[in-house]
Amino acid sequence: MNTNPNKKGHLGDAQARTAWLFCAPAILLILVFIVAPFAMSVGYSFTNRMLVPKKGTVLSFTGLANYIKIFTSSTALNSFQNTFVYALLVVPATVLLGTLLAIFVNRQMRGVKVFRMIYFSPQVVTMTVVAVVWSFILSSNSEGIMNSLLGLFGVEPQRWLQDARLALLCIAIMYIWQNLGMQMLIILGGLQYISEDLYEAAMIDGCNNWNKFWNITVPCLKNTLVYVLVSTTISSLKLFTQVYVLTDGGPQNSTTTVVYLLYKAGFINGQLGYSSAISVVFFILVFAISQFQNKVLGED
Amino acid sequence: MHTAMSKRRRILLTTVMYGAYLLVAFFFVAPIVYLFVSAFKNDTQIVTDMSTIKAFLPAGEMSFDNFRDIISKVHFFKFCKNSTVVAVIDTSLCTVINAMVGYALGMLDFKGRKFMISFVLSLSIIPTEAIIINRFIVTNQAGLLNSYLGLALPSVAYPMYMYLYYNHFKGMPKELMEAAIVDGASYSGIFWKIMLPLSKPILSTVAIMAFIRAWGDLLWPTLVTRDETYRTLPLALRALSNDVYIYWGQIFAFSSLMVLPILIIFLIFQKQFVSSLTMSGIKG
Repeated sequence: MNTNPNKKGHLGDAQARTAWLFCAPAILLILVFIVAPFAMSVGYSFTNRMLVPKKGTVLSFTGLANYIKIFTSSTALNSFQNTFVYALLVVPATVLLGTLLAIFVNRQMRGVKVFRMIYFSPQVVTMTVVAVVWSFILSSNSEGIMNSLLGLFGVEPQRWLQDARLALLCIAIMYIWQNLGMQMLIILGGLQYISEDLYEAAMIDGCNNWNKFWNITVPCLKNTLVYVLVSTTISSLKLFTQVYVLTDGGPQNSTTTVVYLLYKAGFINGQLGYSSAISVVFFILVFAISQFQNKVLGED
Repeated sequence: MHTAMSKRRRILLTTVMYGAYLLVAFFFVAPIVYLFVSAFKNDTQIVTDMSTIKAFLPAGEMSFDNFRDIISKVHFFKFCKNSTVVAVIDTSLCTVINAMVGYALGMLDFKGRKFMISFVLSLSIIPTEAIIINRFIVTNQAGLLNSYLGLALPSVAYPMYMYLYYNHFKGMPKELMEAAIVDGASYSGIFWKIMLPLSKPILSTVAIMAFIRAWGDLLWPTLVTRDETYRTLPLALRALSNDVYIYWGQIFAFSSLMVLPILIIFLIFQKQFVSSLTMSGIKG
C-alpha cells in the first residue's frame, strides 16, 4: 500500500521492489510450468495414478512399485539400453569428427568461411524435416538413394529403418549429419583461441605435427571438448522427434527411447504414475551423467 | 628453380584442399539439395531419379504442382499460421521476461538475490522432457489445451536464458546505472530505456534460440493439440508423411516451405544465428 518514494532508505526499497516486480512473471510461470510438474512427477511416481482415473479404482500410494516395474520390465530396460546405445553411437563420432572437421577448416584460405557455413547449414533444417528427408534417402527398396550408392561398392541393399538392427544407427546418422557442423564451429572457436606462440615454440623444439596435436591442441581444447561432449550427450539422451516421426519405437522396439517410453506410458497408455517414475529416473540419469562428465573430465 | 617447385607444390596443395572441401560440402548439402529439388518433381520423376545422380539435380519435368497441392489440399498456410502465432508469442515473451529476471539478478541489489540465482541455476538442469507429462496435466487443469497460449506459454520462462542474461547484465558497467539514477531515472526505466537498447546482441541471440525451438518442437504440440485447428507445422508434416496415400512430392514441398523461414533468418542474421546455436549447446 504505502509506496511513498520520499521515505528514508527508499533507494534500497525501490531496487528491491523493482527486482521482485521484474521477477514476478517469470516466478509465476516457473512455479506453474516447472516446479509444480516436477513435484508432481516425484509425487505421482509413488502412486498408481492414471491420466483418466478409472471408475472403481482408488488412487493409492504404491511405494516403489513403479520403480520396480521399470527395472523389471523388459520394454523399459530395453528403452534405456537403446538410449545408451544411441548416445554411444552419436557422442564419440560427433566429438571425433567435429574435431577433425574443425582442424580441417582452420586454415587461412580464400572461401574457407563459405565452406564453414555450408557445413553448418544442416542445423538450419528443422529436425522433423531432417527425419523425413533422410527416411527417403534411406528408403528400403533397392533403388533407394543409399542402397544405390552402396550398391556401387557391392553392398547388398539394406532395409535401414525397417531393420531392427539398423534403425537406431540410421537415426544416429541423421542426428550426426545435422549436428556436426555446429560442433565443428564450437571446436573451431576453441582452436582459434590457442596462441600461435605455443606452436612456434614446439616447432623450434623439433616437435612433429602429431606431437603438436597431442601436447598442445588437445590439452588447450579440453574445456571446449568437454562442453561438446556434455551437451551432445544430454541432447542425445533426449531423443524423441525422429523416433516419433519415423518409427514409433519400432521395428520390434529397437528405437524405443526413454523419452518415447515416458510419452507412450503417460500419454497413450495413461499410466501417469508409471510415466512419472520414468521421468524421475530419466532426470537422475541425465543429471548424473552430465555431473560425472564434468567432474571427471573437467578437472585439471 | 627451387621457388618454382615450391610454388607448384603450393598450387597443388591448394587444389587438393579445395577438392576436399567440396567433397565434404557435398555430404552436408546433398540432402538439402535433394529436398528442394524433389519439391518440384512429381512422384514418378522422384522414383525414377532415385537411383541416379539425377535425384540431386533439377532434371526432368519440374513444376509448381506440389506447392499448389499443399496450399489448396493440405492447407499449408493454416498450419503455417499456427506455427507462426505460437513461435511469435513464445519468442517475444521469452526474450523479454527472461531478460527482466537477468537484469534484476545481475544489476539490482536486493534481499533474496543470491537465493534466486541458485534457484534459477538449479532449475536449469531439469530437462523439459523429464517434466513434460505433468506439465501437460497442469496445462490441462489451467484450461489451456488446444489453444495458442497453451502451446506457447509453458516454455516462456526458461532458466537457462535467465542465467545467460544474468551473466550479461552482471558485466554491464554499474556507473551507467548510477548516472541514470542521479538523472532521476527509475530502476525499471533504466531497464527499458538504457539496458535493453544496449543489449541487442544477446536479445537477438535468445530470440533466435527461442524461435527455432518453438518452430521445430514436436513433443509439446503432440500433447496439447487435440485436432487440426491448432496443429503446428512439424505435427502436420508427421501426419502428412504417415498418411495412407503418400504423395512424395507434396511431402518435399511441405518440408521446403517449412524450412524456408529459418533459412531466411539464417541468411540475414548469419553471425547472430551461429552464436545463438553454439551458445544454446544443451538444446532443450
